[in-house]
Amino acid sequence: MEDHAEQIVKAALTQGADDAVAEVIADRNYQIRFAQNQPVIANEWRKDIGTLFLAINKRVVAGEITNFDRIPETVATLIKVAKASQENPEYAGIAKGPFKYARPSVDRKIVALDDGTDHVEGAINGALEEGAKECAGSFWRYNETHFLHSSNGASGSDQRVGVYLSIRALVSLESSGHGVSCATKLSQFNPEGAGHKAGKIAALAKNPKGGTPGKYDIVFDPLILGSLIDQVGHRASAFYVSAGFSPYGKKLGKKVASDAVTIIDDGSADSLARRKFDEEGVPPKRKAIVQKGVLKTYLHNTSTAKKMKTKTTGNAGLIAPEPHALWLQPGDWTRDELFEEVKDGLWLTNTWYTRFQSYMTGDFSTIPRDGIFRIKNGEIDGAWKDVRLTDNLLHLWQSVKGISKKSEQVMWWGEVDVPTFAPYALAKQIGITKSAM
Amino acid sequence: MELVDFAVDYAQQKGATYSEARWEQHATEYFSLKNGVLDALVYTTDEGIGVRVLARGSLGFAATNKLTKAGVKAIVDDAVRIAKATKRKDPISFASEPAVTSNWSVPERRKLADTPVEDKVEEVQHIDREVVDMKYKIPARYFVSTSLRISKYFANSEGSRIRSYSPRVRMYYYLTLMKGGDTEQAYRNYGWSGGWEALQEWNTLENVLQEARTCQNALDRGVKSPEGRMDLVVGPPVAGIMAHESCGHPTEADRVLGREASQAGKSFITPDGIGQKVGSPVVNVVDDPTVEHAIAYYLYDDEGVRARRRYLYKAGKITEFLQNRETAATLRTRSNGASRATNYDREPIPRMANTFVEPGNWDVDEMIEEVKHGVWMKTYMEWNIDDKRFNGKYVGREAYLIENGEVQGPVRKTVVELTTPMVWGSVDACGKDLLLTEAGFCGKSDPGQALDACLGGPTMRLRNVSLR
Repeated sequence: MEDHAEQIVKAALTQGADDAVAEVIADRNYQIRFAQNQPVIANEWRKDIGTLFLAINKRVVAGEITNFDRIPETVATLIKVAKASQENPEYAGIAKGPFKYARPSVDRKIVALDDGTDHVEGAINGALEEGAKECAGSFWRYNETHFLHSSNGASGSDQRVGVYLSIRALVSLESSGHGVSCATKLSQFNPEGAGHKAGKIAALAKNPKGGTPGKYDIVFDPLILGSLIDQVGHRASAFYVSAGFSPYGKKLGKKVASDAVTIIDDGSADSLARRKFDEEGVPPKRKAIVQKGVLKTYLHNTSTAKKMKTKTTGNAGLIAPEPHALWLQPGDWTRDELFEEVKDGLWLTNTWYTRFQSYMTGDFSTIPRDGIFRIKNGEIDGAWKDVRLTDNLLHLWQSVKGISKKSEQVMWWGEVDVPTFAPYALAKQIGITKSAM
Repeated sequence: MELVDFAVDYAQQKGATYSEARWEQHATEYFSLKNGVLDALVYTTDEGIGVRVLARGSLGFAATNKLTKAGVKAIVDDAVRIAKATKRKDPISFASEPAVTSNWSVPERRKLADTPVEDKVEEVQHIDREVVDMKYKIPARYFVSTSLRISKYFANSEGSRIRSYSPRVRMYYYLTLMKGGDTEQAYRNYGWSGGWEALQEWNTLENVLQEARTCQNALDRGVKSPEGRMDLVVGPPVAGIMAHESCGHPTEADRVLGREASQAGKSFITPDGIGQKVGSPVVNVVDDPTVEHAIAYYLYDDEGVRARRRYLYKAGKITEFLQNRETAATLRTRSNGASRATNYDREPIPRMANTFVEPGNWDVDEMIEEVKHGVWMKTYMEWNIDDKRFNGKYVGREAYLIENGEVQGPVRKTVVELTTPMVWGSVDACGKDLLLTEAGFCGKSDPGQALDACLGGPTMRLRNVSLR
């Protein structure tokens, strides 16, 4: 496969490309989905897909190569398309290598794992022990090897493995909880713990009442906080900023969150997204997007960085810069202290369907799901249902008053796209609305 | 196609009680114009085979892009092995279906393959230039166009053999207009099954220019939307998203049965919910894959079942779920041909296709004339709904005040936050102006399957609903 990446780049240069980056991904992922407390399907993939990014006279095109017996012909088609295309004045080349890459180890036990049923059963049993009646979710064994070669001297391979389990436990349609476990070492994988967490929340959320709209102090559980951190990470992409999909335009160096908030992107540290290189071959590094509430950087590839007179942050995707893995820096509160601080508020455990009225202003809403709990004088006082968080992304992060000392790695379907290390956090006076009956 | 037939037969030899294989080739041209610059041009041909088997009562699925006998043999071995290993307690079965042999395709007036990508770029760029020429302050313009040609061959162990060719075009755009520190952001998404004639069929240039005009009008003259209970007239795009979110999703049988509980969620509708009242007698919502040129057009689904029109809500009552063969067997009925996958590497599951509120016999003017005090919300921007599909929210983008049957000036950010029964129970009139060109990316499943869907409907009037 490494040869294929090199062959693709050579073919592109031979046929006239000025710049080329090829990445070949050998996907050997495996998954079990489960519902109603038993597996519903097992999936496995054997896919070898090549991607090629090339530029010729600042005309840029990207494509896929799935048949490695026809590399010259496929490249010729892309060259033809590029030549007929238009110059992109914002294109500023690809990163100059060669680069030295780290050599992190891979857990061979995960690579060898070919049956995940015990992990699924462990998670389900954990939830049922807490009182859940119905469980659904997914178990994943990730095993992908990436081979990258660029015309600017970047070259390397990177095996990325991990295990992931997501479980939703239900006592009834309106009483549910969610738990996840993410690990790059099998010994650290805790599907039973995810099941117990989901089951506990579901059991605690029995007999929820309809909520009351207003402004509330809110304790965010790591899963929902992960969604809000994810929004910051993606909206900080220089691409999103220039396309009008971000409230962070013209806010570099300005306060976008409270002093308690430091959000870091780091593709080099241990997480389900750990990698040796981005899609230009640049080694990812740790950088603060937000430091003590101040927006420090956008996420860049070589072209967006040059346009904004800075350097790539090592976040190149095939087209747009993207976060790799995100960290909200832990604070100095315990979880219990965050709850004790709330006189009249809510504990939200999960959310979905985050949508914006205006990406530029950051006005959005999202729908809490699973356990929604009332907190009065620091104590849980019953469960709610059917409410919506309606606020502004900048205001919400500026309202964060406390962050817990411990965080956990979360990732979740549709909401937390990249692995995110999220603690508990307390934000003051956040908008809650509900549907009219 | 021999490899597909081989996969089906080989799976039977390996002990599968049912097997199917699907070859798909997706030839895609995708480009984006960001502030007038051709920011991305992506040109791909993705091709492979997926195999799904029933073995020891469990489902296994495996996929590869290695189109050799050895490659296909390997995924059949995988699918059978992992299915058997899951040790499911309650065996899965499929509702019976006849074997089918068919070959269907969608006609293109301007063939996608014969229209050079540079011509496509130029046509969209022309629209962008016309927007710029309006001289409004538009800090961000973003257009995305996708031309997709899907070729398929499906075979199963019951004798079905189906070929198809389905060309699709999609264009979506975001416009951000600004005045002082105030912004108005618009998003529209159009879809079409057919060729590059799509751009003309959507009347794209005039629609985009009109969108910009209405954004500027809102910035110049817009006032806060009135609050309280009043009548609401919604335009076809709003009726379309309501049909999709508050009817199509809750009637997906896999969701009703809990298979999606951990991802896209469950449904407020229970398995015995057929016949339950959910709206007024004028509410008819259908899902119909066979509407010509709507983006999700197909004649056979990805289990080889003949597609047909499905009445999801009829006269305000729940009448049918969207079924695949697995859910149909569980609910002791027949599949209605709703099983689809995004590509060869995904399992087929129950999905919406072209979902729309059926038109009525009202003119839009007639509907507005009868409103004493209310809002005409023609389009929306922010929207979401809970995972049981009961609490929806739609926030107006282009909206106007109605007073004594007359349309007044623009109002901004009308918030329609209603329960599903409140939405459908308040409808008293549906217009003649059915629109089927609005498209969406319908998200579901794990791994994610964002699928083409048409969000259709006419203008619709809701009486005495709570607005903010």
